[in-house]
Amino acid sequence: MKKLIVILMLCCSSIAAGAAESKLENIQVETSVQAVERGADALMNTCHSCHSLKYITYHDLVKFGMDKKKVDDWRGDQPLDTAVTSQLSDETAIQSYGKVPPDLSLMTKAREGGANYVYTYLTGYYITPEGMTSNHVFPETKMPDMMGMSGATDPAQRAEIQTKARDIVSFLAWAADPHEEERHKLGYYVIGYLLVLTTLLFFVKNQIWSRLK
Amino acid sequence: MAESDTLGDSNRRNFLIKVTSVVGGAGAAAVCVPFVASMNPSSDVLAKATTEVDLSGIPEGGVHTVAWQGKPVFIFHRTQQEIKDMEASNGGFDPEPDQKRVKRPEWLVVVGICTHLGCVPNKEGPGWTCHCHGSQYDDSGRVVRGPAPKNLDVPPYRFIAADKMIIGEA
Amino acid sequence: MNNRIIKWIDQRFPLSSFVKHDLTEYPTPRNLSYWWNFGFLAGFVLMLQVATGIFLAMHYKADVTLSFDSIQHIMRDVNYGWLLRFMHATGASAFFLVIYIHMARTLYYGSYRAPRELMWWTGQGLLLMLMATAFMGYLLPWGQMSFWGATVITNLFRATPFFGEQVVIWLRGDYGVGDATLTRFFSLHYLLPFLIIGGVLVHLVALHTVKSSNPSGIDLAAKDNIPFHPYFTIKDLYGLGIFLIVYCIFVFFLPNSLMEPANNIPANPMQTPTHIVPEWYFLPFYAILRSVPNLVGGVVAMGLSVMVFSFMPYLDRSRIPGGARYRPWYRAMFYLFAVDMVVLGYVGYTPPSDQSIVMGKIATFFYFAMFVLLPFISRKEEQWLIRRGLPSDVKALVASEAKEKIKLPDQRRSGDIK
Repeated sequence: MKKLIVILMLCCSSIAAGAAESKLENIQVETSVQAVERGADALMNTCHSCHSLKYITYHDLVKFGMDKKKVDDWRGDQPLDTAVTSQLSDETAIQSYGKVPPDLSLMTKAREGGANYVYTYLTGYYITPEGMTSNHVFPETKMPDMMGMSGATDPAQRAEIQTKARDIVSFLAWAADPHEEERHKLGYYVIGYLLVLTTLLFFVKNQIWSRLK
Repeated sequence: MAESDTLGDSNRRNFLIKVTSVVGGAGAAAVCVPFVASMNPSSDVLAKATTEVDLSGIPEGGVHTVAWQGKPVFIFHRTQQEIKDMEASNGGFDPEPDQKRVKRPEWLVVVGICTHLGCVPNKEGPGWTCHCHGSQYDDSGRVVRGPAPKNLDVPPYRFIAADKMIIGEA
Repeated sequence: MNNRIIKWIDQRFPLSSFVKHDLTEYPTPRNLSYWWNFGFLAGFVLMLQVATGIFLAMHYKADVTLSFDSIQHIMRDVNYGWLLRFMHATGASAFFLVIYIHMARTLYYGSYRAPRELMWWTGQGLLLMLMATAFMGYLLPWGQMSFWGATVITNLFRATPFFGEQVVIWLRGDYGVGDATLTRFFSLHYLLPFLIIGGVLVHLVALHTVKSSNPSGIDLAAKDNIPFHPYFTIKDLYGLGIFLIVYCIFVFFLPNSLMEPANNIPANPMQTPTHIVPEWYFLPFYAILRSVPNLVGGVVAMGLSVMVFSFMPYLDRSRIPGGARYRPWYRAMFYLFAVDMVVLGYVGYTPPSDQSIVMGKIATFFYFAMFVLLPFISRKEEQWLIRRGLPSDVKALVASEAKEKIKLPDQRRSGDIK
């Protein structure tokens, strides 16, 4: 009877999984300071003109370990504790693109599929038969093909764009959850401690219950 | 409940229970840490470690109050007469020559928190008066009337241009 | 020294007698299984939620322009803020998991039967307060799912006869879910857990009056009871260790698995997300709501689906002692009901399709059918079991059953099969 329940639950979850629209590419997000900094660099050059990251300050970038000179370059004469906001005003954005470019601070958490979604989206631009630029993952997008994937025919070019996209997504993944590494580290210690404590409690429990005749 | 143990058994039992209690207690204490720590200043508050101040807007004889690390800092653009008066004495209960309290004599930079119990004094005539308990400070921020025990704190600061200074970095 | 202090207190407050009567000498059936750990776990999670909640409230701002940002502030800037937030969010799911297992134990072993009806009903009240607390708490992050979930559910009160429209506006404090709603939900979300604590105390007083049931469903003789301390204090602590391992795996490694991506987008009253989904613990009831095409009907069905559990002591008309252990038909109904809950959960989660709508209607019908049929099936099963002959261990248990302190005028309780 219990086996039946488990099988049923597995069936349900597989139906749910199969219902996803387009297939998302599975990428390994990098968490090292170098990779995240490369991503920040690429983002400042490619994305920052339109997109903000209102929950990240330049100070956060320095604290994480990025090169202070680079950060000073990016922030110009804004103080360190300003947020990484773009200069594009809402009105200009709506005029040029039809909508305000969304904030990127939480983008890898705000989409089903997370980092995989954002990566597949960035590299998912293509040219339709009618000659229009569209995107496999989000066809209704108003964002232009900033990475240039739709025009990249050469495999070396495509590989370069994919690397750049992966760096950007690594940075965005850090930006969405800056404490992830700390959380995992603490998690190992906590689970380790709990395993020790629970084992001790197991033996104490047996010892106390052995008093019963 | 039948207690069918030998002395050896009960020792082993007590030891195991003792060890488990210590381990459990350590865990319980460790759990309190994040709760208590969360009440400490958050990183955005601490990030305001330095404040840049533009001095061009402060006329002679004028005082400007800026926030630094959440505290008020008085930036006082002193006139020649005020400088002369301050250099003439060492202050009141906490003697200190004026020259030691400034980098450029016309700019006095002091933390605007009364050294008695923490109220913010008001600029009144020469110097400042704290209306909480009546302490008074002169135009060098030195205490001339109690109950405050010490002079107003001079924070670390430096000039980064002719009319710009940064508070929080010496 | 200690003894003198305790003596001083004892002259003024029943401290020692209370500890003796309700803890160290409190008689508990020796055969309790680990399914009996979940009441303690529920109490523990309650304390965890109150603690994390209070510390979160030191940083949270209940204002539509500030709330989403304040949560990011907690996650990014507050020392260990991310930990407090993940503990609180995971804790809500943990609370419901523990409570559902606790309820399942009660249903399976027949612990709702006389003389434990009041325990079941206080538990029912606690469940309702918990659901309200969770619902209001979910609005606080002011994400897309928070906002639209609250919009949909507050809309349901339109079903109130005559005053539907006004009730919805009164609830919200505004024509739509807005700042007024957020502020009052924060106030009530902070208040209700303390009412829950009060309810738990009533629940425990009731428990100490009738004492725990046990897996056989038949109250054991006095000699088969053992003191709660140290046997069940240590067993509860051990169970707590296991629970904390699972809980911490979610808090530290899978915290986002229980959070809808859409809730990482600030609430936008002008745009509904494509897929509005409540948290997993509300899914079966949400499915029942959607299965009835009529608004009022759906609301009534959903309300009934939660409240119908209250009738269990009277719907179960079998006088065979205990719960599912000795009653194969009841056991089958229990498992089928559990499967039905999973199916309903799935229906609640998926966007409505022709398939899932039909599935939902069947599952809803089945859900209520279980309760409606229980009086008849339980009676028939009783006759069948008596004809077949009760197993010898049941007979032995009934024979050795201790003289109950509670003499009930009507005979229908565990052990009375005459």
